[in-house]
Amino acid sequence: MDPTLAPPILDIAGSASAMEPTLAPPVLDIAGVGKTYVSTRTGESIEALRGVDLQVRRGEFLAVVGPSGCGKSTLLSLVAGFAAPTTGTVRFKGREVREPEPARGVMFQDYALFPWRTVLGNVEFGPFARGVDRTRRRERAGDLIRLVGLEGFEHRYPHELSGGMRQRCALARMLANEPELWLMDEPLAAVDLQTRMILQDELLRLWGDSAAGGGTGERPTVLFVTHGIDEAVLLADRIVVLGRRPGRLKAVVEVDLPRPRTDARTSPAFTRLVEHVWSLIRDEAVRAIAEETN
Amino acid sequence: MTWTLRIGLPSATLALLALVWEIGVRAGGAQGIAPYPSGVIAAGLRLIADGTALAALSGSLGRVLIGFGIGALIGVPLGLAIGTLPALDRAIRPITDSLRSIAPIAWIPMAILWLGVRGDAALFVVAYAAVFPFVVNAAQAARLVDRAHVNAARALGAGPGLVLRSVIVPSTLPLVLTGARIAMAFAWGSIIAAELAIGIKVAGHGRSVAGLGQLMVETLYVQRDVNALVFYMLVIGAVSFAIDAGLRHAQGVLLPWTRR
Repeated sequence: MDPTLAPPILDIAGSASAMEPTLAPPVLDIAGVGKTYVSTRTGESIEALRGVDLQVRRGEFLAVVGPSGCGKSTLLSLVAGFAAPTTGTVRFKGREVREPEPARGVMFQDYALFPWRTVLGNVEFGPFARGVDRTRRRERAGDLIRLVGLEGFEHRYPHELSGGMRQRCALARMLANEPELWLMDEPLAAVDLQTRMILQDELLRLWGDSAAGGGTGERPTVLFVTHGIDEAVLLADRIVVLGRRPGRLKAVVEVDLPRPRTDARTSPAFTRLVEHVWSLIRDEAVRAIAEETN
Repeated sequence: MTWTLRIGLPSATLALLALVWEIGVRAGGAQGIAPYPSGVIAAGLRLIADGTALAALSGSLGRVLIGFGIGALIGVPLGLAIGTLPALDRAIRPITDSLRSIAPIAWIPMAILWLGVRGDAALFVVAYAAVFPFVVNAAQAARLVDRAHVNAARALGAGPGLVLRSVIVPSTLPLVLTGARIAMAFAWGSIIAAELAIGIKVAGHGRSVAGLGQLMVETLYVQRDVNALVFYMLVIGAVSFAIDAGLRHAQGVLLPWTRR
């Protein structure tokens, strides 16, 4: 907005929120969230998360990293509404999250594609569930399948696809509902390194990496769980570092690298940020591995 | 091994066996007690031509299909409920496990007492035999439903009804169809046993062609035709093979995503 054209009162409000973005109501508000669940196998209580406070701005790309067992996935499932927190509340656009809803799209770690549905059947499931008529949802699914580069594979079943193709299919399925919040649980973990780098670039493109301005509300808000620190630095505006046993908020790292980021992988600033985040979780990650191998 | 050998070798073995068998029975003069190939073929042709075999077969098959259907209607929902609710599983496990352990044909005397020497008694036994494979497999199928698929459907906007139709049903279908194949094999096995057990009485009541089992009893005690008995045995085997092949084919058609 050109400030000379705006009424003074709006200009003041606008500059205030630009200086203090946290004053704008966060699209996602995680307040004092803890989660304890009882293991169905051993019957013991496991405290997966404790006292997590986090506000996510509209259009922000937030990455969540931490050693294994830090409750990253638990946090995501609470935001998705698959489970209720034991303590605290999760609010999405001011309303307490109780159930999943199409506005909060989820991409699962192992994709969770429906094996009995084709690529087309998977992608159109969201619109189908919301009652969109056949012609419109087919059209929408077709557009998305082209967008993620799966044209020609519409009638294949998931088991006939490569890992990278399944990943694209899962992404298209999530996008079909045009969610405002993308909840992604290690979506790129199960593909090889080269495929991952290509998919990272595509993800950034789809999210709007090259579009002007961050946090303007035009981009979707993303909560991206990953164990790849370089991936977090490449993609995110902020990186949330979780500690383990129980999972709690350890640090929030601002990623001030300019966008578009697709060529940022080799810059010195990029490397410095990766090392910084790694230094925050290294000790616990080492301990996590030691515990797992014992 | 060439195609001719693969087909030729077993065929030659069978032909040789039939020949030795035929000669053996005729040479020994045991035609009344021992069946022989040409006699079995002749009996088969006669019983097919006069409609006896077909009438008995359709009587048995009809009861098997109804019993199988009853088994599915009770067994599938019950199994899905048991697999979904561990508390229900715990609560009724003593009942299901003990009932399951009683061989279906052990119920025949009780069934005859309650339902009389009619087809209904056999139907009861068949339904009893069919219900447990459905319960066991549907329960296991429900336990194996991937939570992530349910969550994915919910996150995409599916309510409970759509989750049931679009996730639970297709997830459980492969195992339920496996259960159906076992149930069908059990049902077909018990119908013959049940009809054999109640058949002789039915023959006395003038309902001699109620089923293959009854017909076999009549053939044994009234006609004393060993060749016809062997023909019925072959029919029973062929039907069971055809049913299983049909169900296997149905699995392929109904579950295209499992074809690899």
